[in-house]
Amino acid sequence: MMISKQLHTLIASLILISLTGCERCNPDSCDPPCDAIATPYALEIPPFFPPMDIPEDNPLTVEGVELGRLLFWEKSLSADGTMSCGSCHLPSAGFADPNQYSTGITGAQGVRNAMAIVNIGWSTSFFWDGRTTSLEEQILEPVSHPDEMALPWDEAVTRLQNAPNATTQIDYPSRFAHAFGPGDITAERTTQAIAQFLRTLISANSKFDQWRRGETTLADDEFAGYEMFLREGGDPEVTPGGQFGGDCFHCHSEAGLQFSDYLFRNNGLDSVFTPDPGLAGVTGNALDSGRFKTPTLRNVALSAPYMHDGRFQTLEEVIEHYNSGGVPSTTIDPFMKYNSGGLTLSAVQKGNLLAFLNTLTDTAFVSDPRFQDPH
Amino acid sequence: MEKHKNFFTIRLDILVIAFLLLVGCRPQPNEPEIPGSIRLDFNLQWNGEDCAVGAVQTDHLGHPVRIDNLQMYIAPIEIRNERGEWLEINDVALLDFGVHGQKITAAADVGTYNAIRFGMGLPAEINTDIDPASYANDHPLSVPGSAGMFWTWSSGYVFVKYEGKFATESGEQLIEPLSYHCGTDASYRTVVFELEDVFAIESQELTAFTIDFNAAAALVGEQDAIDIVEDPVTHNAQGTVLGERLMDLMDDAWNLTRQ
Repeated sequence: MMISKQLHTLIASLILISLTGCERCNPDSCDPPCDAIATPYALEIPPFFPPMDIPEDNPLTVEGVELGRLLFWEKSLSADGTMSCGSCHLPSAGFADPNQYSTGITGAQGVRNAMAIVNIGWSTSFFWDGRTTSLEEQILEPVSHPDEMALPWDEAVTRLQNAPNATTQIDYPSRFAHAFGPGDITAERTTQAIAQFLRTLISANSKFDQWRRGETTLADDEFAGYEMFLREGGDPEVTPGGQFGGDCFHCHSEAGLQFSDYLFRNNGLDSVFTPDPGLAGVTGNALDSGRFKTPTLRNVALSAPYMHDGRFQTLEEVIEHYNSGGVPSTTIDPFMKYNSGGLTLSAVQKGNLLAFLNTLTDTAFVSDPRFQDPH
Repeated sequence: MEKHKNFFTIRLDILVIAFLLLVGCRPQPNEPEIPGSIRLDFNLQWNGEDCAVGAVQTDHLGHPVRIDNLQMYIAPIEIRNERGEWLEINDVALLDFGVHGQKITAAADVGTYNAIRFGMGLPAEINTDIDPASYANDHPLSVPGSAGMFWTWSSGYVFVKYEGKFATESGEQLIEPLSYHCGTDASYRTVVFELEDVFAIESQELTAFTIDFNAAAALVGEQDAIDIVEDPVTHNAQGTVLGERLMDLMDDAWNLTRQ
């Protein structure tokens, strides 16, 4: 009799907890019920791409990805309601910023060009200096950074909890409940949702991808440029093993069709590294001075300006920089031909290289309606 | 009566579970022995002294030299038992001497062994015509696992990266590039340690060795010597002989001691 009474009490308690655990969700707006399990998102990994490592505590769901899209484009996540993540990561610019430096809501400018968001689910570190190693962690920074969106996270969370309101029409409490289940809106859940969305930003339908899949052919200059891309640089009389190539593939590796190895290198832009030491600012190691993350070349024709500080406006300037060999320093990458006369590319070879780089443009990706501003 | 029946049922359940727990843990007569493990601690040296990537050294010709990046694939690692059979304990690993404390720990069958060997580089069957994307991302040959160590599908993986800077004269700034990238099937070498004293792997016990790599010996040995001023670069995927000379020198640059 005693056992039976205790059992009834336990069952009643469990029912009470399961009911009150959903208290943040307005039952009228929960359809399906807010404690329903979110729908797994079927992420399609393109041919030749590696598997994508997705954190176990943030699996992709249909509801989470859609919420992340809303948040990515949500201007109420900036202090004055004028900027969203998408303000500096424009689809038309390959999800990068066409300005050299991004301008925050106060008018302040950073010192680096906003990186293109493309195939970022395969990236192993984030920011030009790699100061975060998870996408979720990376997303925390721009919202609260005083020179960017300048909104403290507690205020951001409050705004989302109080939605819909005058600044946003989206019922975020319901959206979060559908994506993550019962519980408060938090900064962590917000970054998780945005990260889910960003992992779906996959570009794999450029002309090069189509050629790689055997669906089209490359023009002669494009193919010649691809061969240049894969050849060692330099005159073999000066640089052993040189093949008069572009020497691009070492860093912009075609392994997994990522066109980046996501490592950090000094590509010979400067001989001194103030005010921006790059990776050394994170590691404190002088040998990392001037080293920045290798960006992917996907959609590179759309994502000008170039380099960590956006100093080059055109791909022609970029090619010319590498052709020159770069500026010597104690940390310049040995791939750069700074002491052997550069790559010595002819005008035709440079043109071929440019033609190849243009084959990496994926217009279907940048115009994909699933990635555009839904507000 | 009903109450007594329930009580009896519960007690029976407890007895059954207790019985299973007891007998389930008893070793069966033919159950294989639980293996032991072996750990190899890789240590970077310069002419017998421990050193670190990024430190300035002096080569055999007096040139100041700084190794900034030293990575290599070793595959496979094997131990030889007293019947002369080589048993693989690890298929492939990527050593990065820029990361302190490179260790490889592997399970090994209980027994007595008299030699250890590993391949420096990758055997042909896992080198060329391999798609790195076919591996899980935590594998050393995967896209992220091989970052910076993969040439192309046809030329395969870089076996050894020995990169840095040097100066032609003492006192000068270290600004000349040193870039040795060794690969190709023909560059694959096997490092063998014949042990005077056999070692035993005991069940569930760890046996550890230290393997020193003398980075200076990659440049000079009994049979050959490389002048980094004359030969500062090789990418021997293009068939240059310098890469194979380096691999030959590095073949003799290892030393193993029992811990």
